[in-house]
Amino acid sequence: MDTLLSGQLLFAALVSGSLYALIALGLNLVYGTLRLLNIAHGDLVMIGAYTAFWLFTLLSIPPVVSFFVAAALCALLGWAVYEGMFRRLLANPGLAKRVEANSLILFYGISVILQNLTALAFTSSSRGYQYLDTVITWQGVSMTGNRLLSLGVAGGICIAALLFLRFHLFGWELRAVIQRREAAQIVGVNLNRVQPIIICAGFAIAGIAGVLVSMTEQITPFMGFPFTIIAFVVIIIGGLGNIGAGVLAGLSLGLIETYGVALTSPGYRSILIYGLFVAVLLIRPEGIFTKAVRS
Amino acid sequence: MKALDIIFGLALAIGGLLVPLSGDAYLMGLVFQLAMWIALAQSWSMLSSTTGYLSLGHAVFYGIGAYVCVLLTGVVPFGVALAAGAAASAVFAGLIGLPVLRVQGPYFVILTYGLAELVRNVVMRIESALGSFGRMIFMVPSFEVLVWCMVALGILATLGAAAVRHSALGAGLAAIRENEVAAETVGVPVARLKLLAFVASATIPGAVGGLALLRTGYFEPAQAFDPVISFTIVTMALVGGTETVRGPVLGALGFTLLSEALWSSLPQLYMIVLGLTLIAFILFVPRGLSGLADRALGRG
Amino acid sequence: MAFLDVRGVSKRFGGLMALNNVDMSVEKGEIFGLMGANGAGKTTLFSVIAGHVAPTTGEVHFNGRRITGLSPSRICRAGICRTFQIVRPFAGLSVEENVRVAAIYGSGRGRSRASRDTLVNEALESVGLTRQRAGLAGGLTLSGQKRLEIARALATGADLVMLDEVMAGLNPTEIGEMLETLAELRRSRGITFVIVEHVIGALMTLSDRILVLHHGERIAFGTPEEIGRNKHVEEVYFG
Repeated sequence: MDTLLSGQLLFAALVSGSLYALIALGLNLVYGTLRLLNIAHGDLVMIGAYTAFWLFTLLSIPPVVSFFVAAALCALLGWAVYEGMFRRLLANPGLAKRVEANSLILFYGISVILQNLTALAFTSSSRGYQYLDTVITWQGVSMTGNRLLSLGVAGGICIAALLFLRFHLFGWELRAVIQRREAAQIVGVNLNRVQPIIICAGFAIAGIAGVLVSMTEQITPFMGFPFTIIAFVVIIIGGLGNIGAGVLAGLSLGLIETYGVALTSPGYRSILIYGLFVAVLLIRPEGIFTKAVRS
Repeated sequence: MKALDIIFGLALAIGGLLVPLSGDAYLMGLVFQLAMWIALAQSWSMLSSTTGYLSLGHAVFYGIGAYVCVLLTGVVPFGVALAAGAAASAVFAGLIGLPVLRVQGPYFVILTYGLAELVRNVVMRIESALGSFGRMIFMVPSFEVLVWCMVALGILATLGAAAVRHSALGAGLAAIRENEVAAETVGVPVARLKLLAFVASATIPGAVGGLALLRTGYFEPAQAFDPVISFTIVTMALVGGTETVRGPVLGALGFTLLSEALWSSLPQLYMIVLGLTLIAFILFVPRGLSGLADRALGRG
Repeated sequence: MAFLDVRGVSKRFGGLMALNNVDMSVEKGEIFGLMGANGAGKTTLFSVIAGHVAPTTGEVHFNGRRITGLSPSRICRAGICRTFQIVRPFAGLSVEENVRVAAIYGSGRGRSRASRDTLVNEALESVGLTRQRAGLAGGLTLSGQKRLEIARALATGADLVMLDEVMAGLNPTEIGEMLETLAELRRSRGITFVIVEHVIGALMTLSDRILVLHHGERIAFGTPEEIGRNKHVEEVYFG
């Protein structure tokens, strides 16, 4: 019982919660603007993690720099996916209908390709590195520097995104697209401009999250899918386009997971996450997003 | 074209049934794989090609069949264990079908994936709680028998898929795919038909899982429920083409041969090719290999 | 009891009363018109009768049997079929396949293959789609798809067909043809129709009796002549 009430557990929950919120933010942006469910989102986290790992071990470049490299790399990937696959198809209404139905399978194809390319290049063995792992104790709570950095970066980006959406003109355009795609077009929002920017931003955010993960956890080419699932749970609970609620949902999931595992055993972590995912989809199937938009 | 299909199908079936007589282990392995993927892709098509509800979690039925089979092998005769595996998958599909099939479009796709992963993790948990880290299977029938059984399942699944397509059930499922509300309005009992198709598409994979497991002689939940199985099924069926019964056969044929060339030496490369082909076909060849065959033979 | 009997049906969507205590009795073999401005509750009433929407209160009886709460497919098999104002063709299937599904699963279930064929052919013939039967439904013009909606409803073998604005978007010639088709169907097959129509002329010509809804409430009922003379209807409907 003591451990449950300790600041230690709360800190752990905040670290993973902020990370989940960040990953879900990227997915939410892409789904909100393109209406495509990106099942490969977690694999971008993996790409970010590998970027940080290699830059650190080969070139001794610290993660604080890798953020920018990973973000740029993933944004480039997003641009390639958009230009190569979805642009023409989204522009053509007849094809768009079919592609929307198949988009998940398409992204799954991308996911399989990314995972296996990585495995082919760097083998499937898990890797890790030590960075800022000295323990700082404050008010009886032991924290490592890398976890503090992770919390700070993830929290900072989430808050910055919220402020941007609320106060910047482009943020307004974006919210308009997320909430009323057709109407936004009528009042002059240029989807051809908004969509590529958002897919790049969403992918870049996943890449940054990957750098954060790599600082504290072992990485493998197949680490991505659980993150995709977590991000889905978060945006389903929080609601589409509801970026603020999504951030809250991410934090809550971190709490649920950390305390759930503390109360049972780490072996139940996957069951908890997948169980939650299935339950959420069954209880509020597909109406979730549309409902969230209408209200 | 129809006559050609039947000749082609008969040749495959007879060839498959004759191969074990040759005693050639390599050929038998090839036929076993081919029949397995045909059985799985055809089963998948009974639900997903007909209704458009794309299942990305068919590994769960394969895995459940394998699990039940491993628990029963040695306790009951081999045939009974297989039948129990198929029955278990069917019952599982029947139990989860109604709520799961209320979820539509991309949400259904990802839900089936999540469900399969959930079951995989639960079984892994149960096995490790029982202190079992993989089970060896003894008293396996000869490989010849396994090949015959698998070919029989491939034939059965193909006939089943053809029967579904050309029946009243198939007409109702097609209506559901095109417009669920309109289908309901003209009297199609949508929920019941979807459930029926779901159970039908789950049954044979249960037996396939059991057979595949008996061949390897070793059960490990992470492998029996491997999501790669689901992905391969979807790829084969979509690349083969969803509009005909011929499609899954062509898809399975193509990728089984490709896998022979690549899987043992470069499994990752095989998966990459799988992914690239899937994307290319969805974007540029929506009617699949089957559609290409039609065009090559001057039809469609 | 009337053939179709709607008793005290209300439907509330959140704070909006889409239908408020509506009664309606349709006799066998008549053409019954439903009139009302946009948002008067006509389509909601169709949806309640066809089982797509559960009423908040009230009951619907058909052919002496209570059908409230049944699924749309059960109601269809009981003998009621509706069309949709916004057409819902099975776009990827052929025109004939569209109609055949209805013949297989409608109240014509259990018929022999031959009598099913007859049902399909008659339905296609009566709306004039016989020549396009092999083409994809998605390739039909709007007018063609509206007629396909009717053909599908007919092929279910329904005794009561509810038509939701099947004439909207048709030109005068096509409206004329449609009027003839419906009158002929009633004569030859004794089908009962409930129709919602914005084309008031057509409604007046075709209907035996008309019910007028306004903001979900029943405000007038009678023969077309009576409705035409009704001051209240004139006020709310023609402004």
